[in-house]
Amino acid sequence: MNFHGRHIISIADFNRAEILAVLRASRELAERPRPELLAKRQMATLFFEPSTRTRLSFEAAMHRCGGQVIGFSDAASSSTKKGESLADTIRMVEQYADVIVMRHPRDGSARLASSVSRVPVINGGDGANQHPSQTFLDLFTIASLFPQLERGEELKIAFAGDLKYGRTVHSLVTALGHFRVRLLLVAPDGLELPEHYLTEARAAGLEVDILPSLQDAVNQADVLYMTRLQEERFPDPLEFDHIKATYRITAAMLRSARPELRILHPLPRVGEIAPDVDATPHAHYFQQAGNGIPVRQALVGLVTGSLEAKS
Amino acid sequence: MNREPITTSASRVRQVEAIANGTVIDHIPAEVTLAVARLLTTTDDQVFIGMNLRSTRIGRKGVVKISGRELDVQAAAALALIAPSATICIIRNYEVVGKNQIPIPEVFADVAACANPNCVTNHERWPTRFLVIDRNPLQVRCHYCERAFAADELTLLR
Ligand SMILES: [Zn+2]
Repeated sequence: MNFHGRHIISIADFNRAEILAVLRASRELAERPRPELLAKRQMATLFFEPSTRTRLSFEAAMHRCGGQVIGFSDAASSSTKKGESLADTIRMVEQYADVIVMRHPRDGSARLASSVSRVPVINGGDGANQHPSQTFLDLFTIASLFPQLERGEELKIAFAGDLKYGRTVHSLVTALGHFRVRLLLVAPDGLELPEHYLTEARAAGLEVDILPSLQDAVNQADVLYMTRLQEERFPDPLEFDHIKATYRITAAMLRSARPELRILHPLPRVGEIAPDVDATPHAHYFQQAGNGIPVRQALVGLVTGSLEAKS
Repeated sequence: MNREPITTSASRVRQVEAIANGTVIDHIPAEVTLAVARLLTTTDDQVFIGMNLRSTRIGRKGVVKISGRELDVQAAAALALIAPSATICIIRNYEVVGKNQIPIPEVFADVAACANPNCVTNHERWPTRFLVIDRNPLQVRCHYCERAFAADELTLLR
Protein backbone atom coordinates (compact mmCIF):
# COMPACT_ATOMS: atom_id res chain seq x y z
CA MET A 1 0.00 0.00 0.00
CA ASN A 2 1.50 3.30 -1.07
CA PHE A 3 0.04 6.71 -0.32
CA HIS A 4 3.05 8.76 -1.43
CA GLY A 5 1.96 11.14 -4.19
CA ARG A 6 -1.64 10.06 -3.98
CA HIS A 7 -4.56 12.49 -4.26
CA ILE A 8 -7.32 12.45 -1.64
CA ILE A 9 -10.42 13.30 -3.66
CA SER A 10 -13.30 11.01 -2.73
CA ILE A 11 -13.89 8.44 -0.01
CA ALA A 12 -15.06 6.08 -2.76
CA ASP A 13 -11.43 5.86 -3.96
CA PHE A 14 -10.35 4.01 -0.79
CA ASN A 15 -10.70 0.37 0.09
CA ARG A 16 -11.00 -0.99 3.62
CA ALA A 17 -7.27 -1.62 4.11
CA GLU A 18 -6.44 1.91 3.00
CA ILE A 19 -9.07 3.42 5.29
CA LEU A 20 -7.69 1.39 8.21
CA ALA A 21 -4.16 2.60 7.39
CA VAL A 22 -5.33 6.22 7.58
CA LEU A 23 -7.07 5.54 10.90
CA ARG A 24 -3.96 3.89 12.29
CA ALA A 25 -1.66 6.74 11.22
CA SER A 26 -4.14 9.21 12.74
CA ARG A 27 -4.23 7.29 16.01
CA GLU A 28 -0.45 7.25 16.26
CA LEU A 29 -0.31 11.01 15.74
CA ALA A 30 -3.10 11.60 18.27
CA GLU A 31 -1.26 9.54 20.88
CA ARG A 32 2.22 10.77 20.04
CA PRO A 33 2.33 14.15 18.27
CA ARG A 34 5.25 14.65 15.85
CA PRO A 35 6.21 18.36 15.88
CA GLU A 36 8.85 17.84 13.17
CA LEU A 37 6.89 15.48 10.94
CA LEU A 38 6.13 18.01 8.21
CA ALA A 39 9.13 20.31 8.65
CA LYS A 40 10.22 21.80 5.30
CA ARG A 41 6.88 20.80 3.78
CA GLN A 42 4.86 23.51 2.12
CA MET A 43 1.07 23.34 1.89
CA ALA A 44 -0.98 25.55 -0.43
CA THR A 45 -4.54 26.11 0.77
CA LEU A 46 -6.70 27.23 -2.16
CA PHE A 47 -10.09 28.26 -0.84
CA PHE A 48 -12.13 29.34 -3.84
CA GLU A 49 -15.02 29.66 -1.41
CA PRO A 50 -14.62 30.47 2.26
CA SER A 51 -14.65 27.71 4.87
CA THR A 52 -12.98 29.00 7.98
CA ARG A 53 -13.23 25.78 9.91
CA THR A 54 -11.74 23.51 7.29
CA ARG A 55 -8.94 25.96 6.52
CA LEU A 56 -8.07 26.50 10.19
CA SER A 57 -8.01 22.77 10.82
CA PHE A 58 -5.63 22.09 7.90
CA GLU A 59 -3.43 25.04 8.81
CA ALA A 60 -3.25 24.10 12.49
CA ALA A 61 -2.49 20.49 11.54
CA MET A 62 0.35 21.67 9.31
CA HIS A 63 1.81 24.22 11.77
CA ARG A 64 1.81 21.75 14.66
CA CYS A 65 3.94 19.40 12.59
CA GLY A 66 6.41 22.11 11.65
CA GLY A 67 5.06 22.67 8.13
CA GLN A 68 4.40 25.88 6.29
CA VAL A 69 1.24 27.16 4.67
CA ILE A 70 0.60 29.55 1.80
CA GLY A 71 -2.69 30.24 0.09
CA PHE A 72 -5.79 32.31 -0.26
CA SER A 73 -9.10 32.11 1.50
CA ASP A 74 -11.53 33.54 -0.98
CA ALA A 75 -11.78 33.54 -4.73
CA ALA A 76 -12.21 37.32 -4.97
CA SER A 77 -8.55 37.77 -4.06
CA SER A 78 -7.37 35.02 -6.36
CA SER A 79 -6.60 34.75 -10.04
CA THR A 80 -10.01 33.15 -10.71
CA LYS A 81 -11.42 36.64 -10.51
CA LYS A 82 -9.22 37.57 -13.48
CA GLY A 83 -10.64 34.65 -15.46
CA GLU A 84 -7.80 32.17 -14.98
CA SER A 85 -8.86 28.56 -15.45
CA LEU A 86 -8.74 26.19 -12.49
CA ALA A 87 -6.21 24.03 -14.35
CA ASP A 88 -3.87 27.00 -14.80
CA THR A 89 -4.19 28.03 -11.14
CA ILE A 90 -3.17 24.50 -10.14
CA ARG A 91 -0.24 24.39 -12.62
CA MET A 92 1.02 27.65 -11.11
CA VAL A 93 0.55 26.71 -7.46
CA GLU A 94 2.14 23.27 -7.77
CA GLN A 95 5.43 25.08 -8.44
CA TYR A 96 5.39 26.39 -4.86
CA ALA A 97 3.89 23.61 -2.78
CA ASP A 98 4.37 19.96 -1.81
CA VAL A 99 0.65 19.45 -1.29
CA ILE A 100 -2.47 21.36 -2.31
CA VAL A 101 -5.62 21.56 -0.19
CA MET A 102 -8.53 23.01 -2.10
CA ARG A 103 -12.10 24.00 -1.44
CA HIS A 104 -14.21 24.92 -4.45
CA PRO A 105 -17.92 25.54 -5.07
CA ARG A 106 -18.16 23.25 -8.13
CA ASP A 107 -18.76 19.50 -7.93
CA GLY A 108 -15.79 17.62 -9.36
CA SER A 109 -13.34 20.54 -9.15
CA ALA A 110 -10.88 18.61 -6.97
CA ARG A 111 -10.87 15.66 -9.40
CA LEU A 112 -10.14 18.07 -12.24
CA ALA A 113 -7.31 19.65 -10.21
CA SER A 114 -5.84 16.23 -9.43
CA SER A 115 -5.69 15.38 -13.13
CA VAL A 116 -3.34 18.30 -13.83
CA SER A 117 -1.39 18.51 -10.55
CA ARG A 118 1.98 16.83 -10.08
CA VAL A 119 1.74 17.27 -6.31
CA PRO A 120 -0.99 15.59 -4.25
CA VAL A 121 -4.35 17.36 -4.08
CA ILE A 122 -6.46 16.98 -0.95
CA ASN A 123 -10.13 17.81 -1.51
CA GLY A 124 -11.36 20.13 1.23
CA GLY A 125 -14.89 20.08 -0.20
CA ASP A 126 -16.03 20.26 -3.85
CA GLY A 127 -19.52 21.73 -4.01
CA ALA A 128 -22.12 19.24 -2.85
CA ASN A 129 -19.94 16.28 -3.75
CA GLN A 130 -17.17 15.14 -1.37
CA HIS A 131 -15.18 16.23 1.65
CA PRO A 132 -12.99 13.19 2.36
CA SER A 133 -10.91 14.57 5.24
CA GLN A 134 -14.19 15.20 7.10
CA THR A 135 -15.23 11.61 6.40
CA PHE A 136 -11.91 10.26 7.67
CA LEU A 137 -12.19 12.33 10.85
CA ASP A 138 -15.79 11.21 11.39
CA LEU A 139 -14.71 7.60 10.98
CA PHE A 140 -11.66 8.11 13.19
CA THR A 141 -13.90 9.59 15.89
CA ILE A 142 -16.26 6.62 15.76
CA ALA A 143 -13.41 4.09 15.69
CA SER A 144 -11.72 5.79 18.68
CA LEU A 145 -14.93 5.75 20.73
CA PHE A 146 -15.94 2.24 19.71
CA PRO A 147 -13.00 -0.10 19.06
CA GLN A 148 -15.51 -2.83 18.17
CA LEU A 149 -15.92 -1.09 14.79
CA GLU A 150 -12.52 -2.34 13.64
CA ARG A 151 -13.03 -5.68 15.38
CA GLY A 152 -16.04 -6.32 13.14
CA GLU A 153 -18.68 -6.22 15.86
CA GLU A 154 -21.95 -4.54 14.98
CA LEU A 155 -22.33 -0.87 15.77
CA LYS A 156 -25.62 1.06 15.60
CA ILE A 157 -25.09 4.40 13.95
CA ALA A 158 -28.02 6.79 13.62
CA PHE A 159 -28.18 9.66 11.15
CA ALA A 160 -30.73 12.40 11.73
CA GLY A 161 -31.78 15.56 9.92
CA ASP A 162 -31.19 16.44 6.29
CA LEU A 163 -30.09 13.11 4.86
CA LYS A 164 -30.91 14.11 1.30
CA TYR A 165 -28.49 16.98 0.78
CA GLY A 166 -26.08 16.25 3.64
CA ARG A 167 -22.77 15.60 1.91
CA THR A 168 -21.06 14.46 5.12
CA VAL A 169 -23.78 11.85 5.65
CA HIS A 170 -23.47 10.42 2.14
CA SER A 171 -19.70 10.05 2.32
CA LEU A 172 -19.76 8.58 5.82
CA VAL A 173 -22.43 6.05 4.80
CA THR A 174 -20.18 5.03 1.88
CA ALA A 175 -17.20 4.63 4.22
CA LEU A 176 -19.23 2.65 6.78
CA GLY A 177 -19.95 0.15 4.03
CA HIS A 178 -16.52 -1.32 4.86
CA PHE A 179 -17.59 -2.15 8.43
CA ARG A 180 -20.35 -4.01 10.23
CA VAL A 181 -22.89 -1.33 10.93
CA ARG A 182 -26.63 -1.02 11.40
CA LEU A 183 -27.81 2.31 10.04
CA LEU A 184 -30.70 3.99 11.85
CA LEU A 185 -32.17 6.77 9.74
CA VAL A 186 -34.50 9.59 10.81
CA ALA A 187 -35.34 12.37 8.38
CA PRO A 188 -38.17 14.82 7.69
CA ASP A 189 -40.44 14.04 4.72
CA GLY A 190 -38.65 14.87 1.50
CA LEU A 191 -35.18 14.92 3.10
CA GLU A 192 -34.68 11.14 3.35
CA LEU A 193 -31.45 9.46 2.29
CA PRO A 194 -31.55 9.17 -1.53
CA GLU A 195 -32.52 5.73 -2.78
CA HIS A 196 -29.18 4.98 -4.44
CA TYR A 197 -27.31 5.43 -1.15
CA LEU A 198 -29.74 3.00 0.50
CA THR A 199 -29.18 0.51 -2.30
CA GLU A 200 -25.42 0.99 -2.06
CA ALA A 201 -25.46 0.57 1.74
CA ARG A 202 -27.50 -2.63 1.56
CA ALA A 203 -25.30 -3.96 -1.23
CA ALA A 204 -22.28 -3.32 1.03
CA GLY A 205 -23.95 -5.50 3.67
CA LEU A 206 -25.26 -2.82 6.03
CA GLU A 207 -28.57 -3.30 7.83
CA VAL A 208 -30.82 -0.26 7.48
CA ASP A 209 -33.67 0.71 9.82
CA ILE A 210 -35.87 3.71 9.10
CA LEU A 211 -36.97 5.15 12.47
CA PRO A 212 -40.10 7.20 13.13
CA SER A 213 -38.58 9.72 15.52
CA LEU A 214 -35.42 11.25 16.85
CA GLN A 215 -36.24 9.85 20.29
CA ASP A 216 -36.11 6.32 18.85
CA ALA A 217 -32.67 7.04 17.48
CA VAL A 218 -31.53 8.39 20.85
CA ASN A 219 -32.80 5.27 22.61
CA GLN A 220 -31.20 2.73 20.28
CA ALA A 221 -27.98 4.15 18.88
CA ASP A 222 -24.33 3.89 19.84
CA VAL A 223 -23.58 6.93 17.71
CA LEU A 224 -26.03 9.66 16.74
CA TYR A 225 -24.77 11.75 13.84
CA MET A 226 -26.78 14.98 13.71
CA THR A 227 -26.85 17.28 10.69
CA ARG A 228 -27.93 20.83 10.14
CA LEU A 229 -31.34 21.57 8.64
CA GLN A 230 -31.11 24.33 6.09
CA GLU A 231 -34.01 26.71 5.85
CA GLU A 232 -33.68 27.06 2.06
CA ARG A 233 -34.67 23.40 1.67
CA PHE A 234 -38.15 24.22 2.98
CA PRO A 235 -40.47 26.23 0.76
CA ASP A 236 -42.81 26.90 3.68
CA PRO A 237 -41.29 28.77 6.66
CA LEU A 238 -43.98 27.38 9.00
CA GLU A 239 -43.04 23.85 8.03
CA PHE A 240 -39.41 24.68 8.68
CA ASP A 241 -40.25 25.95 12.19
CA HIS A 242 -42.18 22.78 12.90
CA ILE A 243 -39.42 20.47 11.65
CA LYS A 244 -36.78 22.46 13.49
CA ALA A 245 -38.63 21.85 16.75
CA THR A 246 -38.89 18.11 16.00
CA TYR A 247 -35.23 17.70 15.04
CA ARG A 248 -33.72 19.08 18.19
CA ILE A 249 -31.86 17.07 20.78
CA THR A 250 -32.18 18.23 24.38
CA ALA A 251 -30.64 16.95 27.60
CA ALA A 252 -34.11 15.77 28.68
CA MET A 253 -34.35 13.49 25.64
CA LEU A 254 -31.08 11.86 26.59
CA ARG A 255 -32.40 10.41 29.86
CA SER A 256 -33.53 7.29 28.07
CA ALA A 257 -30.36 7.01 25.99
CA ARG A 258 -27.90 4.15 26.39
CA PRO A 259 -24.98 5.33 28.55
CA GLU A 260 -22.48 4.73 25.75
CA LEU A 261 -24.38 6.91 23.22
CA ARG A 262 -22.18 9.60 21.69
CA ILE A 263 -23.52 12.49 19.63
CA LEU A 264 -21.53 13.75 16.66
CA HIS A 265 -22.11 16.73 14.40
CA PRO A 266 -19.95 18.11 11.57
CA LEU A 267 -20.54 21.66 12.94
CA PRO A 268 -21.54 24.41 12.84
CA ARG A 269 -24.74 23.48 14.65
CA VAL A 270 -27.65 25.85 14.58
CA GLY A 271 -30.57 24.71 16.70
CA GLU A 272 -30.45 20.92 16.32
CA ILE A 273 -28.44 20.29 19.49
CA ALA A 274 -29.56 22.30 22.51
CA PRO A 275 -26.73 23.91 24.53
CA ASP A 276 -27.75 21.87 27.61
CA VAL A 277 -26.55 18.73 25.80
CA ASP A 278 -22.96 20.03 25.86
CA ALA A 279 -22.52 19.22 29.55
CA THR A 280 -23.79 15.63 29.20
CA PRO A 281 -21.33 12.76 28.71
CA HIS A 282 -23.04 12.10 25.37
CA ALA A 283 -21.75 15.26 23.69
CA HIS A 284 -18.73 14.53 21.54
CA TYR A 285 -18.91 17.03 18.65
CA PHE A 286 -16.15 19.36 19.82
CA GLN A 287 -13.74 16.45 20.36
CA GLN A 288 -14.79 15.29 16.89
CA ALA A 289 -13.71 18.64 15.43
CA GLY A 290 -10.43 18.34 17.35
CA ASN A 291 -9.79 14.99 15.69
CA GLY A 292 -9.40 16.94 12.45
CA ILE A 293 -5.83 17.71 13.55
CA PRO A 294 -4.31 14.21 13.74
CA VAL A 295 -6.40 12.97 10.82
CA ARG A 296 -5.31 15.83 8.53
CA GLN A 297 -1.72 15.43 9.72
CA ALA A 298 -1.92 11.76 8.83
CA LEU A 299 -3.32 12.48 5.35
CA VAL A 300 -0.70 15.13 4.61
CA GLY A 301 2.07 12.96 6.07
CA LEU A 302 1.03 9.96 4.00
CA VAL A 303 0.65 11.73 0.65
CA THR A 304 3.88 13.74 1.02
CA GLY A 305 5.81 10.59 1.88
CA SER A 306 6.60 11.81 5.42
CA LEU A 307 4.68 8.86 6.89
CA GLU A 308 4.71 5.23 5.82
CA ALA A 309 1.34 3.56 5.42
CA LYS A 310 1.10 0.49 7.67
CA SER A 311 -1.55 -2.12 7.17
CA MET B 1 -55.97 13.15 -40.54
CA ASN B 2 -53.25 10.63 -40.74
CA ARG B 3 -49.92 12.41 -40.36
CA GLU B 4 -47.85 9.28 -40.78
CA PRO B 5 -45.80 9.32 -43.97
CA ILE B 6 -47.35 6.85 -46.40
CA THR B 7 -44.76 4.27 -47.25
CA THR B 8 -44.68 0.74 -48.42
CA SER B 9 -41.74 -1.49 -48.00
CA ALA B 10 -41.08 -1.19 -51.73
CA SER B 11 -41.20 2.60 -51.89
CA ARG B 12 -39.45 3.11 -48.54
CA VAL B 13 -36.18 1.91 -49.94
CA ARG B 14 -36.25 4.68 -52.52
CA GLN B 15 -37.25 7.38 -50.06
CA VAL B 16 -33.65 7.69 -49.10
CA GLU B 17 -31.16 7.58 -51.92
CA ALA B 18 -29.28 4.30 -52.14
CA ILE B 19 -25.55 4.77 -51.80
CA ALA B 20 -22.88 2.87 -53.69
CA ASN B 21 -20.25 3.02 -50.98
CA GLY B 22 -20.30 4.33 -47.46
CA THR B 23 -22.23 3.88 -44.24
CA VAL B 24 -25.91 3.50 -43.40
CA ILE B 25 -27.03 4.16 -39.86
CA ASP B 26 -30.49 2.65 -39.58
CA HIS B 27 -33.15 2.17 -36.88
CA ILE B 28 -32.47 5.56 -35.30
CA PRO B 29 -35.29 6.69 -32.98
CA ALA B 30 -37.02 9.34 -35.13
CA GLU B 31 -36.55 12.24 -32.69
CA VAL B 32 -32.76 11.96 -32.59
CA THR B 33 -32.18 11.54 -36.33
CA LEU B 34 -30.72 15.00 -36.82
CA ALA B 35 -28.62 14.70 -33.66
CA VAL B 36 -27.14 11.46 -35.02
CA ALA B 37 -26.40 13.12 -38.37
CA ARG B 38 -24.73 16.04 -36.59
CA LEU B 39 -22.71 13.69 -34.44
CA LEU B 40 -21.35 11.44 -37.18
CA THR B 41 -20.94 13.60 -40.25
CA THR B 42 -18.58 16.38 -41.23
CA THR B 43 -19.36 19.35 -43.43
CA ASP B 44 -17.48 17.62 -46.26
CA ASP B 45 -19.63 14.48 -46.22
CA GLN B 46 -22.38 13.78 -48.74
CA VAL B 47 -25.27 12.84 -46.45
CA PHE B 48 -28.81 11.56 -47.05
CA ILE B 49 -31.25 11.75 -44.19
CA GLY B 50 -34.58 10.01 -43.89
CA MET B 51 -36.87 11.04 -41.05
CA ASN B 52 -40.05 9.57 -39.61
CA LEU B 53 -39.89 6.42 -41.71
CA ARG B 54 -42.09 3.58 -40.56
CA SER B 55 -40.33 0.80 -38.72
CA THR B 56 -41.79 -2.44 -37.48
CA ARG B 57 -39.07 -2.57 -34.82
CA ILE B 58 -39.24 0.89 -33.24
CA GLY B 59 -42.35 2.61 -34.67
CA ARG B 60 -40.93 5.63 -36.41
CA LYS B 61 -37.32 5.73 -37.30
CA GLY B 62 -34.65 7.74 -39.00
CA VAL B 63 -31.93 6.69 -41.44
CA VAL B 64 -28.66 8.50 -42.09
CA LYS B 65 -26.55 7.54 -45.10
CA ILE B 66 -23.03 8.81 -45.49
CA SER B 67 -21.80 8.40 -49.04
CA GLY B 68 -18.18 7.52 -49.74
CA ARG B 69 -17.02 7.13 -46.15
CA GLU B 70 -16.88 4.03 -43.95
CA LEU B 71 -17.53 5.04 -40.40
CA ASP B 72 -15.23 3.72 -37.70
CA VAL B 73 -17.67 1.85 -35.48
CA GLN B 74 -15.64 2.58 -32.34
CA ALA B 75 -15.75 6.30 -33.18
CA ALA B 76 -19.53 6.06 -33.28
CA ALA B 77 -19.68 4.87 -29.66
CA ALA B 78 -21.42 8.09 -28.58
CA LEU B 79 -24.47 6.70 -30.41
CA ALA B 80 -24.93 4.34 -27.48
CA LEU B 81 -26.06 7.35 -25.44
CA ILE B 82 -28.82 8.58 -27.79
CA ALA B 83 -29.61 5.73 -30.18
CA PRO B 84 -28.56 2.42 -28.65
CA SER B 85 -30.98 0.53 -30.92
CA ALA B 86 -29.41 1.84 -34.14
CA THR B 87 -27.41 -0.35 -36.52
CA ILE B 88 -24.41 0.62 -38.61
CA CYS B 89 -24.04 -0.96 -42.07
CA ILE B 90 -20.97 -0.58 -44.22
CA ILE B 91 -21.86 -0.52 -47.93
CA ARG B 92 -19.52 -1.40 -50.78
CA ASN B 93 -20.80 -1.40 -54.35
CA TYR B 94 -24.45 -1.33 -53.11
CA GLU B 95 -23.86 -4.44 -50.97
CA VAL B 96 -23.95 -4.59 -47.19
CA VAL B 97 -20.52 -5.89 -46.22
CA GLY B 98 -20.73 -5.33 -42.46
CA LYS B 99 -23.57 -4.84 -40.03
CA ASN B 100 -22.88 -3.75 -36.44
CA GLN B 101 -24.89 -3.04 -33.34
CA ILE B 102 -23.77 0.05 -31.45
CA PRO B 103 -20.85 -0.88 -29.19
CA ILE B 104 -20.97 0.37 -25.59
CA PRO B 105 -17.54 1.67 -24.56
CA GLU B 106 -16.16 1.61 -20.99
CA VAL B 107 -15.83 5.39 -21.04
CA PHE B 108 -17.56 8.20 -22.91
CA ALA B 109 -14.86 10.84 -23.35
CA ASP B 110 -15.97 14.35 -24.26
CA VAL B 111 -19.09 13.38 -26.18
CA ALA B 112 -21.84 14.58 -23.82
CA ALA B 113 -22.37 17.42 -21.36
CA CYS B 114 -22.86 16.61 -17.69
CA ALA B 115 -26.48 17.02 -16.61
CA ASN B 116 -25.44 18.35 -13.20
CA PRO B 117 -25.52 22.14 -13.60
CA ASN B 118 -22.98 22.54 -10.78
CA CYS B 119 -20.52 20.08 -12.32
CA VAL B 120 -17.12 21.66 -12.84
CA THR B 121 -17.14 20.54 -16.49
CA ASN B 122 -20.02 22.96 -17.12
CA HIS B 123 -17.96 25.86 -15.77
CA GLU B 124 -14.38 25.22 -16.90
CA ARG B 125 -13.21 24.47 -20.44
CA TRP B 126 -12.49 20.86 -19.72
CA PRO B 127 -13.48 17.61 -21.48
CA THR B 128 -16.22 15.56 -19.86
CA ARG B 129 -15.75 11.92 -18.95
CA PHE B 130 -18.42 9.36 -18.06
CA LEU B 131 -17.78 5.84 -16.83
CA VAL B 132 -20.30 3.14 -17.67
CA ILE B 133 -21.74 1.66 -14.46
CA ASP B 134 -24.60 -0.33 -15.98
CA ARG B 135 -25.21 -1.51 -19.55
CA ASN B 136 -28.85 -2.46 -19.58
CA PRO B 137 -30.32 0.08 -19.26
CA LEU B 138 -27.26 2.22 -19.89
CA GLN B 139 -26.17 4.16 -16.78
CA VAL B 140 -23.07 6.28 -16.51
CA ARG B 141 -21.26 8.14 -13.73
CA CYS B 142 -19.54 11.48 -14.23
CA HIS B 143 -15.83 11.07 -13.45
CA TYR B 144 -15.82 14.59 -11.95
CA CYS B 145 -19.01 15.27 -9.96
CA GLU B 146 -19.62 11.53 -9.32
CA ARG B 147 -23.33 11.78 -10.17
CA ALA B 148 -24.96 8.84 -11.92
CA PHE B 149 -27.19 9.41 -14.94
CA ALA B 150 -29.35 7.37 -17.29
CA ALA B 151 -28.06 7.73 -20.85
CA ASP B 152 -31.12 9.71 -21.94
CA GLU B 153 -30.49 12.38 -19.29
CA LEU B 154 -27.35 13.50 -21.11
CA THR B 155 -27.14 15.78 -24.13
CA LEU B 156 -24.49 15.37 -26.78
CA LEU B 157 -21.89 18.07 -27.20
CA ARG B 158 -22.30 18.31 -30.98
ZN1 LIG C 1 -20.46 15.91 -13.75
